[in-house]
Amino acid sequence: MVTYVESLRMALTAIWGNKMRAALTTLGIVIGILAVTLMGTLISGLDRSFEKSMSFLGRDVLYISKHEWFGDSEWWEIRNRPDLKVDYVEKLKDQGKYVIAAAPVAMRSVNITRKDEMAMGISLAGTTTEFTQTAFMNIESGRFYTEGEDRSGARVIVIGYDVANVLFENENPIGEKVKIGNYVFRVIGITEKQGKFLGMFSLDNRAIIPMGTYQRLFSRRGWMRLEVKVDDEHIDDAKDEIIAIMRRLRGLGPEEKNDFAINQQDAFRQQYQTMKIAIGGTGFFITVLSLVVGGIGIMNIMFVSVKERTREIGVRKAIGATQASIMRQFLLEALFICLFGGCVGIVLALGGSFLIDKFVFPSTMPVSLALISLILSSVVGIVAGLAPSYKAARLDPIEALRYE
Amino acid sequence: MADLIKLTGLQRYYEVGGETVKALDGVDLVINQNEYISIMGPSGSGKSTMMNMIGCLDSPTTGTYEFEGEKVHEMDDNQLASIRNRKIGFVFQTFNLLPKLTALKNVELPLIYANIPKDERLELAEIAMGKVSLTDRMHHKPNELSGGQRQRVAIARALVTNPSIILADEPTGNLDSKSGVEIMSVFDELHSEGNTIILVTHEAYIAKHAHRTIHILDGRIEKDVYNKKIRKKLNKKKATA
Ligand SMILES: Nc1ncnc2c1ncn2[C@@H]1O[C@H](COP(=O)(O)OP(=O)(O)O)[C@@H](O)[C@H]1O
Ligand SMILES: [Mg+2]
Repeated sequence: MVTYVESLRMALTAIWGNKMRAALTTLGIVIGILAVTLMGTLISGLDRSFEKSMSFLGRDVLYISKHEWFGDSEWWEIRNRPDLKVDYVEKLKDQGKYVIAAAPVAMRSVNITRKDEMAMGISLAGTTTEFTQTAFMNIESGRFYTEGEDRSGARVIVIGYDVANVLFENENPIGEKVKIGNYVFRVIGITEKQGKFLGMFSLDNRAIIPMGTYQRLFSRRGWMRLEVKVDDEHIDDAKDEIIAIMRRLRGLGPEEKNDFAINQQDAFRQQYQTMKIAIGGTGFFITVLSLVVGGIGIMNIMFVSVKERTREIGVRKAIGATQASIMRQFLLEALFICLFGGCVGIVLALGGSFLIDKFVFPSTMPVSLALISLILSSVVGIVAGLAPSYKAARLDPIEALRYE
Repeated sequence: MADLIKLTGLQRYYEVGGETVKALDGVDLVINQNEYISIMGPSGSGKSTMMNMIGCLDSPTTGTYEFEGEKVHEMDDNQLASIRNRKIGFVFQTFNLLPKLTALKNVELPLIYANIPKDERLELAEIAMGKVSLTDRMHHKPNELSGGQRQRVAIARALVTNPSIILADEPTGNLDSKSGVEIMSVFDELHSEGNTIILVTHEAYIAKHAHRTIHILDGRIEKDVYNKKIRKKLNKKKATA
């Protein structure tokens, strides 16, 4: 027991005596640990924001549109596909066993004005009341429009959180008038703050009006998607069913390819998984590389250390040190250099993840990763220390004592 | 009781570039407890090799070595380390203190390998420092001490485990004559307290401190004599017996 404590003390003394060298050689380990922990932080943050974004897309909602979200169809093929139509929605609801709700969504970019204020580049969506079931949003104040307002083409509008803020700084927008071009709308509701989808487009920067109104004022044609909420226990069946209904509506023969796309959250998930593997793989590669390089550095410096202290080893042997105790002393030294590097890496990573958390996206450094890092650096230390320590332990005491 | 040290037909050969160097070439020697021995001989005659052999740092090519009846020539590495630790105190010509440790820490070192707890270690080390009259220099690093003081620290380190024998290979070789005399008085004192001491020297006036002088030439014992004073004492004993 005494010798263990003493070996530890000796190892620390030796490191302290060569602070600069220890610090430099441990750089590889620092970088390795930094890479693995920062990568973990990054992935945890990505995961979090991805899941948040995914919560805007229901798992049980299918999105029928001209193009696949992550397809490899050629653009001209997609362009030649026929537009989707509002009346498909009724057919899907009538014929689809698994369809719970369905809404057409048409969209265009507009500027909304009120007195001197203007909200620019707002995504204006025209949709029906069932959008409240297919989309994931809450009304913060006011209400959504009714079926009657939809059918009659009422000029009412539900605005996003940011739009409300821009146009009505401190006032209550409900009941107030806003203008899109020359058309006047009455604000009847505000949606709750939702944030950005995958960090790209803000869902608070949009406005929603009844489909009837949209078609009357803006266009009957143009880009549109259908959102279909289905029985969440039969999502795959529902998808097959919808494909069949769509093919019938389009009058496609058995040999013809689908001229529409059915998208779902899974497409994002798969895409995300691929990206995550790429990030993880890169991080892993950097980590392994720098740990290996760092390990070789430590091994070298330990060989130097053993050489420099040949005489010391001889003295220790002459006064009774066993091979095991010499081995232990040098192994501990290598271990501590690496552990020190690991700790520095973790501290830097903590700083890094704080910055990521503050400036990029909410994230935390996983504790398990810090532990794994420490274990990793210990393993590197021991592996790198083995050969030099063994060499030290096996030195012939007389030769060692004679060494200059 | 067994002899303290018994060498029989001891040989130590080195192979250097296809040639055999016979550093020790058939040594028979018995050493008893509380002997005070000096070893003399020209450079390269095998003195250091013999000291290393006795100090269990080296193993014979052929021949046997018994230490307190135990067969050292059959021991493995751990046993040798243990016997060096507990039974032997080594003093080197170049002191061989660890430069980063204080004098006291250097003296503590053998006790660490003997697995002795901290408090006891400190106490024993302080006692040893007292024996070499260096209690006022315990917390100095070796480079803050004179040559004579360093060698005294080294002697304290050698005797701190209360070994059966103290081996000193040219302990005054790196010292001026005044310090040399000082060191020799330390050895005299240790001997009078009952320690067994072997020291290698080139100087006749140093060798005279010992009671028995072994002359080595070409790896063999050429002459093994008791000093005059001792001879007289022994003769008296014989006469009275
Ligand atoms: N490790 C070694 N390898 C080869 N020859 C050695 C070695 N150690 C000692 N010798 C040789 O053995 C002989 C005795 O050396 P040593 O015991 O050191 O002599 P001394 O101490 O009496 O000067 C010398 O000839 C020396 O060159
Ligand atoms: Mg010599």
